[in-house]
Amino acid sequence: MDRVKQKARDLLDSNKVQVVIGYEEGTDGTARPVFIMDSKNIDKLIFNDRCYHNLAVYLTKVEVEKIGRVAVEASLNTLKGIVKLASEGQFVFEDIDILGVNRNGELYEFASLDEVIDYIDQHPVEYSPEEISLLRKIESMTREERWEYWQEEFSRCIRCYACRAACPNCYCDACIVDINQPQWISPTPDALGNLEWHIIRAMHLAGRCVNCGACAKACPVDIPLNILNLKLAEEISKNFGISEEFLLTNYPLAIYDPNDKENFIK
Amino acid sequence: MARIGVFICHCGENIGETVDCTKLAEVTSRFPGVVKSVDYKYMCSEPGQTLIKEAIKENRLTGVVVAACSPRMHESTFRKTCSEAGLNPFLCEIANLREHCSWVHEKSEEATNKAIDIVRALVEKVKLNEPLYPIKVPVTKTALVIGGGVAGIQAALDIANGGHKVILVEKNPSIGGHMSQLSETFPTLDCSQCILTPRMVELAQHPNITLYSYAELESLDGFIGNFKVKIRKKAKSIDENLCTGCGLCTTKCPVKKIPNEFDENLSYRKAIYVPFPQAVPNKPVIDRENCTYYLKGKCKICERFCPTQAIRFDQQDEIIEVEAGAIVLATGFDIKRADFFPEYGFGKYKDVIDGLQFERIASASGPTLGEIRRLSDGKIPKKVVFIACAGSRDPAKGIEYCSKICCMYTAKHAILYKHKIHDGQAYVFYMDIRAGGKNYDEFTRRAIEEEGAKYIRGRVSRIYERDGKLIVVGADTLMNARPVVIEADMVVLATAGVASPGSEELAQKLHVAYDQYKFFTEAHPKLRPVETNTAGIFLAGACQSIKDIPESVSQASGAAAKVCGLFSQNELTRDPLIAVVNRTAPPLYSTCVGCFLCQSVCPYQAIEKEEIKAKDGSVIKIIAKINPGLCQGCGSCVALCRTKSIDLLGYTNRQIYAEVDAILNTL
Ligand SMILES: Cc1cc2nc3c(=O)[nH]c(=O)nc-3n(C[C@H](O)[C@H](O)[C@H](O)COP(=O)(O)OP(=O)(O)OC[C@H]3O[C@@H](n4cnc5c(N)ncnc54)[C@H](O)[C@@H]3O)c2cc1C
Ligand code: SF4
Repeated sequence: MDRVKQKARDLLDSNKVQVVIGYEEGTDGTARPVFIMDSKNIDKLIFNDRCYHNLAVYLTKVEVEKIGRVAVEASLNTLKGIVKLASEGQFVFEDIDILGVNRNGELYEFASLDEVIDYIDQHPVEYSPEEISLLRKIESMTREERWEYWQEEFSRCIRCYACRAACPNCYCDACIVDINQPQWISPTPDALGNLEWHIIRAMHLAGRCVNCGACAKACPVDIPLNILNLKLAEEISKNFGISEEFLLTNYPLAIYDPNDKENFIK
Repeated sequence: MARIGVFICHCGENIGETVDCTKLAEVTSRFPGVVKSVDYKYMCSEPGQTLIKEAIKENRLTGVVVAACSPRMHESTFRKTCSEAGLNPFLCEIANLREHCSWVHEKSEEATNKAIDIVRALVEKVKLNEPLYPIKVPVTKTALVIGGGVAGIQAALDIANGGHKVILVEKNPSIGGHMSQLSETFPTLDCSQCILTPRMVELAQHPNITLYSYAELESLDGFIGNFKVKIRKKAKSIDENLCTGCGLCTTKCPVKKIPNEFDENLSYRKAIYVPFPQAVPNKPVIDRENCTYYLKGKCKICERFCPTQAIRFDQQDEIIEVEAGAIVLATGFDIKRADFFPEYGFGKYKDVIDGLQFERIASASGPTLGEIRRLSDGKIPKKVVFIACAGSRDPAKGIEYCSKICCMYTAKHAILYKHKIHDGQAYVFYMDIRAGGKNYDEFTRRAIEEEGAKYIRGRVSRIYERDGKLIVVGADTLMNARPVVIEADMVVLATAGVASPGSEELAQKLHVAYDQYKFFTEAHPKLRPVETNTAGIFLAGACQSIKDIPESVSQASGAAAKVCGLFSQNELTRDPLIAVVNRTAPPLYSTCVGCFLCQSVCPYQAIEKEEIKAKDGSVIKIIAKINPGLCQGCGSCVALCRTKSIDLLGYTNRQIYAEVDAILNTL
């Protein structure tokens, strides 16, 4: 950690970056994101298992762009977010600095996006037993039970859009729910509106989600959104026969290929 | 304020019998914004169109809904009507009452109610329609013809004689297709080569035609009037400019035992070969799969003997890029071969052959020099059984259609056989005799009545060999299914005609629709039989469905007429129903976030990047931009865009939403 701090300090002092985005101690034993623009505050930086926020989410914000060049303390999930955003043209990889240490305790040195992808490949994430067991439980339900289950979960939604704010891939300036010409998705927090919102959110992330789980952790009413994402990711890998690695830089739902043998295309 | 006119067509009884059109007119007249609503028996007729025109003028209509048949059928008719009355054609919408309502429901109140809903949806949509103006694109006046059978040859000659440039791409070393393999042709029995060869030569010498033989389409981009074509010219291993076609190489080549495709594998050819004596171009190619030099690295005998040093062993495939304004597809057909008929011992017994093999045997230039002989022992067959519908019209074989030409060529075969072997007896097993064509029935009757062919209505269940004879076991269904057993010397199967190999891949390269049997699909079975659904691509010959020569040639001339019509204009107008990326006020400029996921979904590579720049030239934002020349309006990007930043003109999000809303609110 000291080396990460030192590097962050050097970057700020040499004015190579104008802001370091990382984690600091929050209240009640939580960790929270911090923006450090002055190197004398560098000691606030921490990195541990409590640091779950996907910091890639800040990289697309105009406000952050305005501060200047960014160095970001990156967890594996943040790295995935960075790869995804770069592949969707949201920034150029070379325009950001990545801070952190690998499993061997060495400072990250990524010369290119491909190196980040390689690194991610070598460190596959395992989903927690709780996540998997909930997923399998929902899968084993009948269609009606499943419908009931999600209706019940969604009924608590207060449309605070914390999930959207926490998600690195929800970077649209104008989210579909905010577009009212026409208003395809109802913004009203009632049964239909909530259903519409959660279906469109899941669909817009299907094939793009990096499965960091930030949405579910951000949800104040504990809707297990990560399970929806996880299920879609599984379905996509299965139906399109592709790897997670491929998913990171590609969007299978948008590939037009005349050689596609799926007969629904003809 | 919207002033909408609703015009309800009975479509004779098609709609009028099922939907209460009077009530429909009455109810729709009360919709908000509707100022005129009438029904009429045939709205597409002259008086019907006049009725619309007058209503537009009298009622100062701002939008028109014609409730009638499918927009595929008459959208352009009614849009033209509107524009003649001074209304922008894109302010006219079609409510499809026929396919979406009357044809799929029984006469009932519910059917009428559904019709009311359909019209309501279109009324709400048309209120949001904006005038649109056609897009103009230049036309490249060169046609690409793919396939050099009789259909492709005819199309190429007709277009070239119309004064336009033609590029013909043929995958084989010579043009000519199946017709060049035939001996004589029904119903006149003139010699196939004799009538085809002059056309082939004319094509090769035509100043407007460029022929690429031994070549295939590599890829296609662009759109009607402006196709960008890549052609792969396979390496022939000779320098065509130097080669004089003297044929010395083919005589000297030591590799002799390669089955000759042109003779349906009934004779042999060399590794360096010209497929047949009348080939165009009459220059050889080296078959690299069988040439000793390519297999073993040694030989080059042909090179040693070639008087003009024209052999090029190191020649590579060449990719040629050309531009074309229209394309004629004429890739023909193929027939089912041995492996398809184990029950007839086809492939096992040498004397069970297919129709094309019989053509070669009967042909003066064929492997037996025109004498009908058994392939097994060279004897003259005294009894020959012809089996029509071998594979065709047979759901069990997966081919439900009639191959159409077999009845006729089987009769021809029976006649040719009788002409050559006077004391021989021909038997024909058939299901029905399909001889609908000029002089066709007379021709089959001649086979039966004058040439003594015995026609037996029924199918053959089995063929087996006994003492050098082929025992054909069948039934005569006109005689109470009495079993028939014939001891034959030779059996000829009129095997099913099928799509030519590679049709599916080609269709996908060209974005042309094809049916379950891989035949290319015409735009309309009756009214647009030579067009495909892809603008600028036309069909000729057996690639659309099995056809005989007269039909193939007629369709080829039809396709050529379409191409010449297209080339008679310097500019094309295209419907402006294309996608556009929205623009909004700063600081957003557009709701597009530049993820460019739409780029990979676009089948036409129409999506580009556009930089939005500040006054000082610095880039503020990069967003998607749709090239109006390339966009075909398929809407894939619209569906994909998360922020709904792309709209399809004529089908905007607002319009579709209004339609859906109009339908749902009535529930
Ligand atoms: C046994 C038999 C007997 C017949 N007898 C008669 C008869 O007596 N009278 C009659 O009217 N009709 C007869 N016919 C029918 C006749 O053969 C067809 O009507 C005619 O050949 C159709 O012409 P076409 O140009 O459409 O197709 P084809 O003759 O099949 O020509 C297609 C051409 O396209 C080329 N090609 C295919 N794919 C590609 C590609 N991807 N790229 C480039 N080139 C390609 C092929 O090499 C070929 O040269 C007979 C047919 C058979 C099978
Ligand atoms: S190299 Fe030999 S085998 Fe090959 S084509 Fe020439 S003569 Fe024939």
